[in-house]
Amino acid sequence: MSEQMSERRAQLDHPLIAVPSHDELAEQLFVRDLKLYVMSQIEPVQARIAAAEQKTSAGANNTAAALRERMGRHESFSTWLSLKRESQRQLWSSVAASVERQAGDLEELAAIEAPRGSVRTDPEFAVPDYIRRGDIHLMPGGNAHDDGSILQGAMMDRGGAVYMLGRNGGMLNDLRGQTAMAHVLTRFPDLNPARILDMGCGIGTSTVPAATCFPEAEVHGIDVGASMLRYAHARAEHLGAGVHFSQQSAEKTDFADGSFDLVFSCVMFHETSQAATMAIIAESRRLLRPGGVAVHLEVPLLHDNSDAWVELSGELEAQYNNEPNWRGALSADYRSLFEAAGFSSVETGYQATSPAARSGPFRYGSESEGVFRSWFVASGVA
Amino acid sequence: MTSQSLGKSLPRTPNRLDAIDGSRPMDEQLLAMIVGLTSEVTVMRARLDAAERLLAASGALPGGAIDAFEPDVEAAAQREALRKATLEKVFRPLREAAEAELAAINAPVEETLS
Repeated sequence: MSEQMSERRAQLDHPLIAVPSHDELAEQLFVRDLKLYVMSQIEPVQARIAAAEQKTSAGANNTAAALRERMGRHESFSTWLSLKRESQRQLWSSVAASVERQAGDLEELAAIEAPRGSVRTDPEFAVPDYIRRGDIHLMPGGNAHDDGSILQGAMMDRGGAVYMLGRNGGMLNDLRGQTAMAHVLTRFPDLNPARILDMGCGIGTSTVPAATCFPEAEVHGIDVGASMLRYAHARAEHLGAGVHFSQQSAEKTDFADGSFDLVFSCVMFHETSQAATMAIIAESRRLLRPGGVAVHLEVPLLHDNSDAWVELSGELEAQYNNEPNWRGALSADYRSLFEAAGFSSVETGYQATSPAARSGPFRYGSESEGVFRSWFVASGVA
Repeated sequence: MTSQSLGKSLPRTPNRLDAIDGSRPMDEQLLAMIVGLTSEVTVMRARLDAAERLLAASGALPGGAIDAFEPDVEAAAQREALRKATLEKVFRPLREAAEAELAAINAPVEETLS
């Protein structure tokens, strides 16, 4: 597993990531530690208040909405939410300042002389409503922000690594992509994809693992933001991966029918909408040649028996950290959605987290092994 | 390579900040300011620590010199003035508010009734 974020600034996983100065790193580590403090010292107390509230109202309406109303009577509930949100705003603010300071270096590094891959942006691109309505993860400007530079991508990369607190593969932030590819190797060991598409690729954290896992394949990545994609392209080149990035909505792409052997996504559905999720699954089916495979990875689903506090925590995270389709994505019946789109051999379950796809673990089952230890994956054959 | 900002600036305020249950805007503003100040103090402390370690490594600052430092009379007076100025700067609003309440209590009745 990659190094966690540490004071060793020189130990980077790729050369394009924004390198903080001494003070900027101290500020980013402060944000990381503040987030950990909120998570480990403040949030558990709210969980205990919630447990007590649920106990005293046993037999009564114990929905997340009823619990939220009771929690709202405690002042510490709102200070917890305020501090949590402020920690997220400080994260972006500290990363933005660091990225701006080294814009010149980053643009220079991003100018790749003989690229193996490419990037295609579209000035006429219509940004989907679910992206325009609120900036996902409170990243100022949002995923579609574009000033003609690579800076929003640089902010998303460094910010994402700090946001994940190093739990998702350190500065590479690539455990989800590795896990999606490990799923392909687990369920479809004979698949040798010639063309692969990553939908909602962001800055390519999951696209590069696909290219690394299948070095002979032609790999494409699509997303909604031009700055993000320019950065993703340069980042992939620095990591030795030739990937073709283009600015397109996963709901409707300009690729021909049956033009891919493998279509995948990582934690995309919960940043879209229910209608978009259905459209994206249908588009996945259209883009696959007969026998091609779709793999969509998400955060662990909400189960019917989950308690009201777990549900409420997710709802609050979705509302105050701008996750537009949290509930929709976590409660969807992916088997039905895949089958309705014409997929066969559909499976839903949990794939054990893999630090490097080819080295496994090749473990896929119906039970979650815990957050960050496994990811929900739905897959099917076209 | 020289590091240049190119004059580009990234946005700082995210689109969509829903109201938090039971929280007044001022509560959130105060909390945000405290987080900002804590961040500044943390960064300053890290920088001071780095400066001390670098000075110690170069031999310019013998180990333990700061902890053993005894300001002379003039320095002590200047440091006391700095402390007082900081306290006045930070707690001025509380002093002003208390003085305003005291003034209201002491004000002649006819003035407050008008």
